[in-house]
Amino acid sequence: MTGLLQNLIDGLGRGSIYALLALGVAVVFGIMHMLNFAHGELITIPGYLTYWAFNNGWTWWTVIPLIIISAVLSSLLIERVAFSRVRGATDFTMLLTSFGVHFIVSAGFLLYVSASVKPIPRPGWFANTVSVGSLNIEVFDLVVIGVTAVVLAGTTWLLQRTMFGLSLRAAASDFDTARLMGVKSDSVIRGAFALSGFLAGIAGVFWIMREGQVTPTAGINPMLQGVLAVLIGGLGSLRGAVLGGLVLGLAEVLLRSWLPLGIQNLTTGFVFLMIALLFIFRPGGLLSVPQVERV
Amino acid sequence: MFPSLRRDIGFPVIGSLVMFAVLFGGGMIYQTILGNGSAERLVTTMLIDAIIVIGIQIYIGNTGILSFGHIGFGAVAGYAFAVFAISPAEKLKRIPMAPFGLSDIQVDPAIAIVIAVLITLVFAFVVGIGLARSGAQSGSVAATVITLALLFVSHEVAKSWPELTGGNRGGISFAIGESLQSRWPVLVALFGALLVARLYGQSRSGRLAIAAREDNLAARAMGVNPIVQQMVALLLSVVIVSIGSALRVWQIGSILPDRFFFDYAMLTLVMLIVGGRNSVSGAVLGVGVMTAARELARRLGQDGFEAFGVGLDEAPLDWIFRENLNSIVLGVAMVAFMIWRPKGILEDWEFDRWLYEKFGRGNETKPERLSELETIPNAEFSASGISVSFGGFNALTEAGIKARGGEIVGIIGPNGAGKTTFVNVITGMVQPTAGEFSIGTADLTGKQSFELSRSGLVRTFQNLRLFGALTVRENVEISALVAQEHRSDRVLRDTDALIAEAGLWDHRDRRARELDYGNSRRLELARAAAMAPSFMLLDEPTSGMSDSESITMIEQVRHMAATVGAGVIVIDHDLGFITGISDRIYVFDQGQVIAQGTPAEVQANEIVQAAYLGTAAH
Repeated sequence: MTGLLQNLIDGLGRGSIYALLALGVAVVFGIMHMLNFAHGELITIPGYLTYWAFNNGWTWWTVIPLIIISAVLSSLLIERVAFSRVRGATDFTMLLTSFGVHFIVSAGFLLYVSASVKPIPRPGWFANTVSVGSLNIEVFDLVVIGVTAVVLAGTTWLLQRTMFGLSLRAAASDFDTARLMGVKSDSVIRGAFALSGFLAGIAGVFWIMREGQVTPTAGINPMLQGVLAVLIGGLGSLRGAVLGGLVLGLAEVLLRSWLPLGIQNLTTGFVFLMIALLFIFRPGGLLSVPQVERV
Repeated sequence: MFPSLRRDIGFPVIGSLVMFAVLFGGGMIYQTILGNGSAERLVTTMLIDAIIVIGIQIYIGNTGILSFGHIGFGAVAGYAFAVFAISPAEKLKRIPMAPFGLSDIQVDPAIAIVIAVLITLVFAFVVGIGLARSGAQSGSVAATVITLALLFVSHEVAKSWPELTGGNRGGISFAIGESLQSRWPVLVALFGALLVARLYGQSRSGRLAIAAREDNLAARAMGVNPIVQQMVALLLSVVIVSIGSALRVWQIGSILPDRFFFDYAMLTLVMLIVGGRNSVSGAVLGVGVMTAARELARRLGQDGFEAFGVGLDEAPLDWIFRENLNSIVLGVAMVAFMIWRPKGILEDWEFDRWLYEKFGRGNETKPERLSELETIPNAEFSASGISVSFGGFNALTEAGIKARGGEIVGIIGPNGAGKTTFVNVITGMVQPTAGEFSIGTADLTGKQSFELSRSGLVRTFQNLRLFGALTVRENVEISALVAQEHRSDRVLRDTDALIAEAGLWDHRDRRARELDYGNSRRLELARAAAMAPSFMLLDEPTSGMSDSESITMIEQVRHMAATVGAGVIVIDHDLGFITGISDRIYVFDQGQVIAQGTPAEVQANEIVQAAYLGTAAH
């Protein structure tokens, strides 16, 4: 029982980060119908800035805003330089464009910074735990879960209660109609990328703390987890993205604790297998959005 | 007609030979000029890359589904090959604990390749089922993520199963006595890959897959089951990719998880995209161009590089030209092509097709006119008691129509009358809550759209849905291919003659997307007629047409239907058109059939006038 509870909290902590990443992917997908394979670069780029900042005597208190702001700016910059040029192109084109951006960024760091692993110091409280009864809970997990809850609540408010949120949801459900109704496509798309970057920035803070290092290919895993979570939850659903992230995190942690020792390092493989089974029985994901075929 | 020996077999063989000669010859020239070992290795690598890229082209090009997973399949094949081909003595050093008793086995490399292909095919089949379940079609996002996940799984398993794979560090050193010494296996495989890819592209399965790539919905309406064709393309492409991957392992002499991961997936994709993913010639060109570009970038990045006596070291731009420059070239090439030329250098251009157009075709004479066919008297379309409700809203209540063979039946009604819902039901896109429909004795209720058209109910679309990248002739031939298999009990008319009957003879080799509106409509009609339908279902055939065009359309519809002996069910809101064309008319309003009869009867009907003209009936 204690073990299960421990795992649940662990899984929620992991899943919260995935949920933030997935929500960022889903917001952009909703508005552009582009699955952003470059989403992980919103962690790689701030990651290298973090490395640079620590070498110049910054502390976590100043680094955290740096990560978030640089993630937002990177998101906007990538949109401006690459994605704005393929707006309305085929899905195939947009998928490959985002994949290409991912590759350029990681190859750029490889080329002009270094191929080697750059260490980043973890905050002092990172490894602390608090005991509740027989439970040993990591402070890091609690912080992640708490912050994520606040950010998600804020995002919900933004989407439900503000004019920006309304135009974003309208554009996500029918872009052409929304434009006819006076939603400015440029600003709402940029807004979506800024929001996506902000969410990635929050996730990035935790991701960088947890990894304690950055490499040119650091963006691959967060990208993959975010994209998979979106698919698990149901492509096109924001709620589904959050749910998918949490489910993915829980599945990873629980599987790792249940699998026999010999094959524990195949956890990722088993997670993928479960996702495959999910797709076979529920192709649209957990909260599938009905796809209307227009004739 | 299909298959034409010259067009579909002869010229593809010649084309494959020429492409093979160009790629191999270019490589040999480069190798001879430089005359060193590294140039020789580069050329061999290029030839192997070409095999793998052509393999990927078979899937991506013909189905339009973006796949990262083929390199994952390559990893499976590469490891299978390595594990079977290495000597037990070598395995004792690398993977002494190999499961399934694999540590004692050694087979000839050629046999190991066959085993690798078979093992990979099993994986591909399972993945193919998953892709089909996810609703994979051209540009499908979910399918692409599945293939991406596949790439990661193969990498992850390779890394974390060292007993079988040697893990991340050691890898499997491929000391089977020698690594690939002779180029012969590569050359044979490359020519084979070219041949298979081109013959497949011209084959029945390839053409149907391409039709589904161009328009999934329209392909299904023409009796194509895209899932089957996608699976064929996947398995075929995986065979080629597996052979290429095994050769790649053989040539390098070892295998590591990272050799078949992101970077290689990216390299092969960029090669395909740059050249033009929809054509095999494009794949070959892309391999050549990107190999040259990367080699150039690599040399520029090396210190001490000089060309024509000018060096880049210490030059102002030297900071750009650093080691690993060739990796960023890939990303830049991909994004640049996506922005400025998303379909690649060659787009749809195919060498052997061009050759055929230029030299192979000879003079064509316009076919003789076709006589009209006797209609089949016992064919009767009947729909009865069809009800559909969305939530609490009853879109259709107990609606039904009957149409006899050779008859033209019109369905008309104001907006919201339920016409579209009715069409959606009898084309298999909406399942009715109650009711059934049939042709003759064959019950069609609940059938999928491709089954309906195979049963003889073939539709056209309100908003044109042609296979845009295919020529007029190829569009009609798609239907004929399906008809040959599923409508063989009917008289199948010659496709060229049908094209002539539709007034499209002069446009026969133009791509469908280049046609004007009227010709596009006529092509849809010809395409439907080539299915040898019992009934043609025309969904608003005059939408977007002027009155005079509508009147010409009446004659064309009558003529095309009579040419293939089909009945017609036509839905339109244009009263003049419907009364002009129909033998009998059904009037829909508020989800029900409110009247039926000859045009004159219906026009005189007061309820109809009320519903249609909006005057109060009471």
